[in-house]
Amino acid sequence: MAVMVAPENTPVWVNTDRCKACDVCVDACPAGVLSMQQEPTSTLGAMISVIAPESCIGCNECELSCPDFAIHVADKKEFKFAKLSDESKARQEAIANNGYRLPEDYKGSN
Amino acid sequence: MATREVISTGNELAAIAAVDAGCTFFGGYPLTPSSEVMHVISDLLPAKGGASIQMEDEIAGICCVIGAAMSGTRALTATSGPGMSLKAENLGLAQMAEVPLVCINVMRGGPSTGLPTRVSQGDIKQASNPSHGDYRSITLCAGNLAECYTETVRAFNLADRFMQPVIVLLDETLGHMHGKADIPTVEDVEAGIVPRKRFDGPADEYFPYECEATEPATLNPMFEGYRYHYTGLHHDKNGFPTEEIETCRKLIQRLEDKVMAHQDEIELNEEFMCDDLTGEEGEVLIIAYGSVSLAAKEAIKHLRDDGIKAGLFRPITIWPSPANKIKEMTDKIKNVLVVELNIRQYTDEIERASGRLDIEGLYKVNGRAISPYEIVNKVKEVF
Amino acid sequence: MAFNYDQYLRTEKMPTLWCWGCGDGVILKAFIRAVDKLGINKDDMCVVSGIGCSGRFSSYIDFNTVHTTHGRTIAYATGIKLANPDKHVVCVAGDGDALAIGGNHTIHGCRRNIDLTMIVINNFIYGLTNSQTSPTTPRGMWTVTQKAGNIDPTFNACNLAIAAGASFVGRETVNAPRKLEKLIVQAIEHKGFSFVEVNSNCHINLGRKNKMNSAMANLDWIDSITMPKKKYDTLSEEEKMNYLPTGILKQDKDADEYCDMYKEIQKVHQKERAKITQDDFEKKI
Repeated sequence: MAVMVAPENTPVWVNTDRCKACDVCVDACPAGVLSMQQEPTSTLGAMISVIAPESCIGCNECELSCPDFAIHVADKKEFKFAKLSDESKARQEAIANNGYRLPEDYKGSN
Repeated sequence: MATREVISTGNELAAIAAVDAGCTFFGGYPLTPSSEVMHVISDLLPAKGGASIQMEDEIAGICCVIGAAMSGTRALTATSGPGMSLKAENLGLAQMAEVPLVCINVMRGGPSTGLPTRVSQGDIKQASNPSHGDYRSITLCAGNLAECYTETVRAFNLADRFMQPVIVLLDETLGHMHGKADIPTVEDVEAGIVPRKRFDGPADEYFPYECEATEPATLNPMFEGYRYHYTGLHHDKNGFPTEEIETCRKLIQRLEDKVMAHQDEIELNEEFMCDDLTGEEGEVLIIAYGSVSLAAKEAIKHLRDDGIKAGLFRPITIWPSPANKIKEMTDKIKNVLVVELNIRQYTDEIERASGRLDIEGLYKVNGRAISPYEIVNKVKEVF
Repeated sequence: MAFNYDQYLRTEKMPTLWCWGCGDGVILKAFIRAVDKLGINKDDMCVVSGIGCSGRFSSYIDFNTVHTTHGRTIAYATGIKLANPDKHVVCVAGDGDALAIGGNHTIHGCRRNIDLTMIVINNFIYGLTNSQTSPTTPRGMWTVTQKAGNIDPTFNACNLAIAAGASFVGRETVNAPRKLEKLIVQAIEHKGFSFVEVNSNCHINLGRKNKMNSAMANLDWIDSITMPKKKYDTLSEEEKMNYLPTGILKQDKDADEYCDMYKEIQKVHQKERAKITQDDFEKKI
């Protein structure tokens, strides 16, 4: 496999030079790890952000569904991913229902 | 140069020439009167480890040839007028991407379905730009049986030198003419092969389309460690699409200049019985090409027997036209007759190059040859 | 450690020109993963693409690449492959490129069964040129050339490929990138013409005026019209009308591959075997 070195202790990381803020990875994530954030300098006014890396279960859905090679997930052999929890699922639902952005007043635990 | 005598047809000689000149790929579609080129080469190529394929249509015929040439082989197709029309768009891509190949057009009566089994020279203008956009064509026209061989060989070398399609025109008369021809030996042809330029440095220093303003691209064969992009879009030095103002301007200008700055390497003419033409009253200059030139040479002998000093100027490279030579000769000689199997297609170019609007013409478009007798009579009628 | 896509990409060309959320990028990713899995050397592969958004596929990938005229991908690829039979040649074209203007070449590529992999990115519209009808645009949808509603019937690309003689035919969607990657691996490994239809989302040109304004909505629609072949086979004829089966739809490992057959032709002309006759073939017509 063609490999690259992953940043240390990081389950998932993004390349904001390539991200077009299409929302697809945020929609694909089951665990509310990702959210769009306002970014006035980008074309759609938004940019991807990893808001809850500790909830990442390593399912790889975000990486496989990203058309722009803008998000990467660490290898299961090198990183111990979390298990999918109810809090994660709840946060994901809140994000998906809020235009793929974590609601500003979101009070659920991360 | 040693020669060998063969008995063959024009179409067959063209096929043999291609193989002798190192062609290893043929793709095409049956179209009268060019099909024999495919029939012959479909046996010659596999015998030497090459490949020949009959595709599903004329367009596929040129496309597979361009593909093979892109991968690094010398590749050939053969067709007639209607096939040239179909191939137009892709000839344009080969021109734009600087892909060398040889396209034989055995001209038949046109336009449209025309006269499939009869002769014309009706594709002269089309050959100067078969595609849309700016296209500086290199087009050769065989004027006798031996040239069906030698011009095909020359076409491959020119294609590799200038990195673009080269059109070889045969007219149907020559394509189907069966007779004796003295052609170069295979050894001499092989010794004369000048393959396309190659870049041999490190791959990260290779920029296929970065070159001098009057030189063609250096396109290495595929699969050898030099990876780049071919496209019909305007492109940068790596072959990637671009719309950048200067890059686009320079590219199109270079495609023009790479040919026109080196016309001396491309131009080829024959002057038959012109040595004693000094510009005196009554001298006649006949301009003809292809099989018509054979009749013209015969006519000139008869005219001279009748006391008329006539000579033939025969362009062998049709495009780019030998404009300077045409001007020189038409400045000298008052009576000029162009003889062609179309209506004024090359006459228009003669007028442009000479600056004269009083060029006489003998035109025939009914699929029949022009006889020496008709040329003699025309000269006596108009001069 | 993570998958290094940059090793296969022309990184100086990123980001791609495709719209945000366009499935083309997902397919490019699956293709890269498939090539990597197969361990194919970058110098042993040529990718040929047509005109359209899918046509830009070849410019992003670091192989020998060719961007052809509209519809002619397979014709160019046939020349490249026949002149270099031991190399991998992959074609990528859109639904318009492969099925409209390129229909004839698709039919004959399948018929010849030449060892190419043809990936048809079917997003049910002409995307790059802004929303004209394609041979797969559903009837009744809005297109810019049929603003009163599309009346052109569609056809099923995979059925066409099977009928024309392709020896490997499969379909997947961008909703299932893992299955897509696997199908591409199988298609490239297969010796013969491999036809792979990939249903993709064009929410900007198809979706926007047809009630699928976002990538997700368009992807949900694709989900609603596709289903795995096993389940599809249990449907009634009437139900089948509104679904496209996914997975491998046909695989014939014994079909003669064109370049192999051409090697026999070379042997005949080099006097290493007798001429090929009808007796060499089971299928006599």
